[in-house]
Amino acid sequence: MSESNHDQETPKVPKETDNRYWKSLEQWAGDPEFQKMVETEFQSSPLREESSSEEGWARREFLKLMGASLAMTSAAGCMRRPVQKIVPYNKQPEEVTIGVSNYYTSTYFDGAEGLGILVRTREGRPLKIEGNPSHPLNKGGTSARAQASILSLYDPERLQGPKRLLQNAPQKNVKGEITRERRMSYDSVNTVYQEADEAIVKVLKKGNVAVLTGHLPGPSNRQVVADFAQAFGATHYVWEPLSYDDIIEGGKAAYGDASVPYYRFDKAKVIVSVDCDFIGTWMAPTTFSHQFTSMRKDPKTMSKYVAFDSNYSLAGANADVRVRIKPSQQLDVVLGLAHEIIVKKSQTRFAGNASVKSALEPFAGAAGKLGIDAALFERLASDLAANRGSSLIVAGGMVAQTAHARDLQVAVNFLNSALENDGSTVVGGAGMRSLTGSQAALENLIEAMEAGKVTTLIIHRANPVYASVYADRFVKALRKVELVISTADRVDETSRYADYIMPDHHPMEGWGDGEFAAGVFAIQQPTIRPMYDTRSFGLTLMTWGYIADQGPKDFKSLETYYDYVRSVWRGDVLAKAGKGKSFDAFWDEALQNGVVGDTNPANGGSARSFKVDALSGIKRPAGGEYELVLYPTVLFGDGTTLANVSWLHETPDPITKIVWDNYASVSIGTAEKLKLKQGDMIEIKVGEKTAKLPTHIQPGLHDGVVAVAVGYGRTHAGKVGNGIGLNAYTLATPVKNGVVFSGQPATITKTGSNYRLAATQAHHSMEGRQIVAEATLKQYLKNESAGIHKHAVFSLWSGHAYNGHKWGMAVDLNTCTGCAACQVACQSENNIPVVGKKYVLQGREMHWLRIDRYYTGDPVNAQVVFQPVMCQQCDNAPCETVCPVLATVHTSEGLNDMVYNRCVGTRYCSNNCPYKVRRFNWFNFTKNIEKPLHLALNPDVTVRSRGVMEKCTFCVHRIKAGKAQASLEKRELKDGDIKTACQQACPTGGIVFGDLNDPNSEVAKAFKTNKRAYALLEEFHAAPAVRYLSKIRNNDQETLGNDHGHKGGHA
Amino acid sequence: MMKRNELVLGDKTYRDVTNDILKPVEEFPSKGWVGMFLGAKALFLFYLISIAVVIGTGMGLLGVNHPIAWGTMIITFVFWIGIGHAGTLISAVLFLFRQKWRTSVARTAEAMTVFAVMTAGLFPLMHTGRPWLDFWLFPYPNQRGPLWTNFRSPLLWDVFAVSTYATVSMVFWYIGLVPDFATIRDRAKNKIRQTVYGALSLGWRGTAKNWSHYEMVYLLLAGLSTPLVLSVHTIVSFDFAVSNVPGWHTTIFPPYFVAGAIFSGFGMVVTLMTLVRIGFPQFKDYVTLDHMEVMNKIIMTTGMLVGYAYGSEFFIAWYSGNAYEKFAFINRAMGPYAWSYWVMIACNVVIPQLFWLKKFRRSIPVMFVVSIFVNIGMWFERFVITVTSLHRDFLPANWGMYAWSYWDTAILLGSFGMFLTLFLLYLRLFPAIAIAEIKPVMFVGKDKKHGGHHG
Repeated sequence: MSESNHDQETPKVPKETDNRYWKSLEQWAGDPEFQKMVETEFQSSPLREESSSEEGWARREFLKLMGASLAMTSAAGCMRRPVQKIVPYNKQPEEVTIGVSNYYTSTYFDGAEGLGILVRTREGRPLKIEGNPSHPLNKGGTSARAQASILSLYDPERLQGPKRLLQNAPQKNVKGEITRERRMSYDSVNTVYQEADEAIVKVLKKGNVAVLTGHLPGPSNRQVVADFAQAFGATHYVWEPLSYDDIIEGGKAAYGDASVPYYRFDKAKVIVSVDCDFIGTWMAPTTFSHQFTSMRKDPKTMSKYVAFDSNYSLAGANADVRVRIKPSQQLDVVLGLAHEIIVKKSQTRFAGNASVKSALEPFAGAAGKLGIDAALFERLASDLAANRGSSLIVAGGMVAQTAHARDLQVAVNFLNSALENDGSTVVGGAGMRSLTGSQAALENLIEAMEAGKVTTLIIHRANPVYASVYADRFVKALRKVELVISTADRVDETSRYADYIMPDHHPMEGWGDGEFAAGVFAIQQPTIRPMYDTRSFGLTLMTWGYIADQGPKDFKSLETYYDYVRSVWRGDVLAKAGKGKSFDAFWDEALQNGVVGDTNPANGGSARSFKVDALSGIKRPAGGEYELVLYPTVLFGDGTTLANVSWLHETPDPITKIVWDNYASVSIGTAEKLKLKQGDMIEIKVGEKTAKLPTHIQPGLHDGVVAVAVGYGRTHAGKVGNGIGLNAYTLATPVKNGVVFSGQPATITKTGSNYRLAATQAHHSMEGRQIVAEATLKQYLKNESAGIHKHAVFSLWSGHAYNGHKWGMAVDLNTCTGCAACQVACQSENNIPVVGKKYVLQGREMHWLRIDRYYTGDPVNAQVVFQPVMCQQCDNAPCETVCPVLATVHTSEGLNDMVYNRCVGTRYCSNNCPYKVRRFNWFNFTKNIEKPLHLALNPDVTVRSRGVMEKCTFCVHRIKAGKAQASLEKRELKDGDIKTACQQACPTGGIVFGDLNDPNSEVAKAFKTNKRAYALLEEFHAAPAVRYLSKIRNNDQETLGNDHGHKGGHA
Repeated sequence: MMKRNELVLGDKTYRDVTNDILKPVEEFPSKGWVGMFLGAKALFLFYLISIAVVIGTGMGLLGVNHPIAWGTMIITFVFWIGIGHAGTLISAVLFLFRQKWRTSVARTAEAMTVFAVMTAGLFPLMHTGRPWLDFWLFPYPNQRGPLWTNFRSPLLWDVFAVSTYATVSMVFWYIGLVPDFATIRDRAKNKIRQTVYGALSLGWRGTAKNWSHYEMVYLLLAGLSTPLVLSVHTIVSFDFAVSNVPGWHTTIFPPYFVAGAIFSGFGMVVTLMTLVRIGFPQFKDYVTLDHMEVMNKIIMTTGMLVGYAYGSEFFIAWYSGNAYEKFAFINRAMGPYAWSYWVMIACNVVIPQLFWLKKFRRSIPVMFVVSIFVNIGMWFERFVITVTSLHRDFLPANWGMYAWSYWDTAILLGSFGMFLTLFLLYLRLFPAIAIAEIKPVMFVGKDKKHGGHHG
C-alpha cells in the first residue's frame, strides 16, 4: 500500500523534483497533461489493444483492477499486514549469509565478574549472548546480567554522539559564592570531535589531571590509562561501588598482600560462607557457581556447604545448612569455628599458640551466641579440621563490609591459613587482577578536588554521584574542577555534571580485553559497527595524546584502539601466555577461542604466611537491636550498568520473587513484633539518615536484620530504570579506608501506609505435594531414589510413536542455583515481552521459563529450593485435546507445538495445563517495543501478536537449525549438537537436552539410569518430556526433618 | 377429584382476553415502559462501547490472568445460558406433560430464553484473544487442507450445543407466535402495522388446516426442544468436566449444571413475571399467584438439588482420595475466595428454603427478593466453579488471584442492558401471553358455580 502513496500526490508537482533540468515549458510548469504523457510513454500495456475504445478499460485490466481493489479493501479492512520492504545486500559482506548466524568470541565485564562469551549475530547485528565453553572461568555459563547486556546495546537512551555542556560556568554572587547549579543543557558536538578534543587538550596541558574509573577489565585498558597518566601526569583513581576493600585490607594485615585472591570452590569439600554471596553477587559468581556445583554433580561425593547468612542470599539458598545471623555475629562464626578447632580440639599448626589462644578466647561458645545447635557447630568444626587443604571459608561482599570488615577478613584469612587452605583453595598473590578499586580512592580523589588539585577530571565507567555515599561531597567538589569529562553512554547522575560527555562504545561495539583471573586473557571483540557517533575510551585518551604529542610512542601514534590492543598483546600478553608462538598465530588463536592462558596458579599458588599479631585487637562487635544489611542484587549488582534493561527488572529476584522494586526485608518474627504486613511502608533510620521502604517479610531472616538492596532509586538511568525503588547507597556510612554498608544499628518505624509489591509467586509452600523432591545425603546413600514417591500409572491408549527423534530435557535440582540466567536467556532467545509492574501485579508476566522457589521447613528458619519450570512437552498433553482450532498439536518428535497463526485465544489450553507454563498475550506487547530495541528481536522466533497463547518450544528453531546443520554435513545428529537457550546459559550445567531415542545421549541416561530422576506431577500422567533430578542436602541429618513446609504459608 | 383453581381469573370473555393481552402492543407505551427502555438502552449502549474497548485493546483489560485464564466472560456466559433453560422447560417439557398452567407464562419464559441465549452466545465469541478469527471455531469448508476444528475439544461441542439451542428455541418461540401475530394483523388499524404483522404471521388464516399443521409442528418442536434442555447445559458443563482442573474434573457436573440452570431460569422467570405483573396489571388475571407458587415450588426443589450437588462434590472430593481435588474443595470453602462460596450457598441453598411456607410462596415481595438472590447466587456458583478452581491448582508457585477490574463490572452489568432492552422491546411488540393458547384453558361460557356440568 505504501507504494501507491506516490499516486496520491497532486499532479501539479512534477515527479522529477529536480527542476533545474526540464525538457519543455510544460514540464517546467508541471502541466498534468505532460506529466501523464511522461508517465505513460513507455508503459502502455500491450493488453490495452484489446480495448476497442481509447478511453475504455481493457477487459483483463478491469478484472485485474477489480481483483486488486477487492484485495485492497479487504486488506484495508483488517489492517494487519503493513507493507514492509526487504532489500538484499548490494554488496554481500564476507562471512554473512542471510538467515545464518555468526558467532564471535568476546568478553563481558560487569565491574567485578568477567565472562568469556560468544555473541550470536545475524546479518551484522548481535542478538544473543552465549557462554564461551572454552573460557576456563565460566566454561560456557553466563549470568542473567550477561544475558541482558545485549539489550543495553540497543538502549534507546544511549547517547548518539558526544555532548558539550552549555553554560557550564557556575553562577557566582559578589562574594564569589556559587549560587546556582550548573544548568543541564547540552549541545551536540557530533561530528566536530576535533574542536572539542583541542579544547580539552588545552586544559589537559595545564596538568593536575585525574582519571576516575571503575574496575578495568584487562591489560590494554589498564595500559592505556597508565600511558595517559604518563603523558599528562595524571593520577588514576580506581573506585567501584562493590569494591573489595575488606579483602584488600584484610590481606594486607594478615599477609602483607594487597591483592584479591582467586578462589577454588571446585577443590573445596567443606565450604563455609559468612555473608559471602559467591553464587549470586560476589566477585565472579558465574565462575564460582560452576566450580561449586562441579563438586555436587555426583551426590555421593558432594561437598558440604554451610552458610551463615544475614541477608537471604543466593549463596545461602544453596547451602546444605543455612544459619541465619546478623552482621555483628560474623566474627563470632569465623573465630568461633577457629576457637572450636584450634583451642578446643587443639588442631592445626596454631594449636598451643598462646597469643592465638588469647585472641580467640572471647569467641568461645559461639554456637550459644548464635543461637544454634552446638552439635551442628562442633560437627562443622570437625569437618573443617578433617578437610584441611580442601575446605574453604569465605566472607565478603557488601553484607560483610561492616565496621569490623577488616577484622572479619583477618579472621577468615587466619582460619584459611590454619586449615592450610591458603595456597590450595585460596589462590593468593595474584588472583583477581581487575579488582583493585577501593572506596578510599574515591575519598582521596574528592579530597584532591576539594583542595583544588584537580583541574581536569576524566570519569570512565564510574557513577559516584549515584552509587557512592560521597555523592554530595563529590558534586560539591566538582565545582572546583575546571574541566570534567565523562565517557558515560548516557546523561547519568554523574555525567550530567560533565562539561563534555564523550560516550564510550558499548562493549559490543569496540575492542578490548580482559584478564579476569591472573593468567587468563580474553579479547573483547566488536560484533557490530558502532551504532552511533561514539568513540572508544582508549582512543579518546590516545587522541588527546596525539594532539598534545605527549606520551609513549604507541599511545600517541597508533590510529585505532584496535592497534593499541594488539600492541599490548604483542608485548605483555604474548610474553605471559604466548608459549612461544608467533604473534599473528597467537592473536588469531586468541580471537578464535576467545581466550588464552589458564588459571594455572603458578604465580601465587603457594601459601602465604599469616601474621599472627594481626589477630590481636579483634574485639567482638556489639550488635544493635536491628542491624542494617545492604546488599547488591543478583540481577543488577551495583545497579550502575544495566539499570535501564527491562528484562532484568521483570526477572523476579531469585529469593523474594519480587520484580520492579526494592524493599526492606524483615523476618517473620520482626514483622509480628512490629505488626507489619507485606508492603507496609516503614521508615528505617540509620544514624541521621532515613529511608522509607515497603516491607517484605522474608522467611529465614534473622530477627535483628533489616535488609535493603542497593542498585535501585536511579534518577538518570533512563525511562525504564528511573524512579524504581530507593537509592540505598545513601544509607552507608563512610569511615577511614572504606565505607560501612552493613551492620549499622537501625531503627524501624511503621508509617501506616501500604505499597503493593509485585511478585511473580504468591504462594511459597509446596503444601506437602511432591514438587521438588528432596532428600538428605544420608537418605540418598541408602536409597538413591529417596524423597521420590513413585506412582503407579497406566495408560488407556498406546501413546504416540516416536520413530525419529524424541526430545527430552533433564534439570538437575541439585546443581540449580536459581540464578535466573536461564530465564533471561530464554527471554532474549524467544523475544519474550516485558509487561511492567502493573501487569505483573495482575499476573500477566510472560516468562516461558520460570523458576519456582519454595520455602521448606520451619518458616522462621526456612530453607529454599528452586525449580525451573518450562513447558514439559507432555506426551499426553492436556493442552492439545482441548484446543478447539488445533492451534497446539503434537509433533512426531514429541514436541508440543504452538501454532500462533491458528490460535484464536480461547485460553482453554492454559486452564488445562497442570504446570501452567502457557502465557497469553493479553495486550499487543511487542508493538510497544521502542526503536532500536526491536533490533534485539531474534528473527528465528516469531513475535507474537495480541490474543495468542505462547509457551516454551524447547527452542524448536535451534532443533531445526541443528538438524539442518547435521544434514548439510551429511552426518547423523550428535548428542550435544542442539542446546536450548536455557541449557546454554546455565552456569552449572544443570540443564541437559537431547534425544531420548538415542540411548547414549546424556538426557536418555538421566531419564533411564539416574535414580534421582522424577517427573513433575507424575501421577497426573501427562507424561512430560522433562525430568527433574532430586535435590540432595549434605546436612548430616537422617531425614529432612520437615514436612515440606505445610506451615510455609504466605510470606 | 380436587378442584383446581382457575387458570384465568376475572370472568373474562375471549374478547376481554384479546384486549387485555394486546393492550401493551396496541396502545401508546406508558411512561414507565419508556423510562425503563431508555435506561436499558443506555446500559446496552454502554455494553457495546465496553465490548469495543475490550476487544480493541485486549483481553488484559479484564481480570483474567495467569493462572485464571477464564473469568467474567465465561462466568457470565454460563449464567445467561443457564437462565435460558427455564423457558424451554416451561414451553416444551411442560407442554408435553400437558401442564395447562404453563400457557400463561410460556411465551414470556421462552422470550427470556431466546434473549438470554443471545446474550450468552456473545460471550464465548468475545472472550477469545482474537475475536475476529472466531469463525475458525466453526467447521466450515475451507482451503486449509487437514486443518479443521478439533472435534475432541469441549469448546467445539459448545459451539454446536449453543447454536443448536439458540436456533431451535427461536423457531419454537416464533412458531408459537404465528397465530397471535395474525390476531394483531387482523386488529391492525393502520397499514404499516398490518403489513409488518402480516408478514410476521406468515399468511396465517386460522383455517382448520392451518391449525392442524400448527399443532403438529408445535408438538414436534416441543419434542425436539426437550432433549436440548438437558443437552445444552450438559455440554456447557463439559467445558469444565472434561478438563483436568481439580474442581472441574467431576462427573456430577452435567446433572448438577442442568439442575442449576433450571433453578436459575425459574428464578429469572419469577423476577420478570413479578415485574410484568406490576407493569401490566391486567396480566394479574392470567399470571396468577397460583402460577407463581408453582414456579416457586420448582425453585425450591431445584435449589435443593443444587445443594445436594454441592454436598456430593465435597463427599467425592474426600472419597476420591485425590489430594488435589480435596484441596480444591477445601480451598473453595475456606480459601481466599470462601466469601464467594458462602454467598453461593446462602443464596442458592438457604434462602429458597423460605418457600416451605405457603405464605412466602404466595407473597410477591418475598418471591421477588428470593428470585433476585437466586440470580445472584447462580452467578456466584459459576464464579466459584471457574475462579476458585483455577486460582489454586497443582503447583503452588502458580497460585494467584483474579484481577477483577472496572471492565469486568462493565461487561457483567452491560449484558443486563442487552437482555433488558430486548425483553422490553418484546413486551411492547409481541403479545406477552399466548392468546391462542390461553383461550382453550378457560371456562368461557361455562357456569362456574356449577362446575360447568350443565354446560
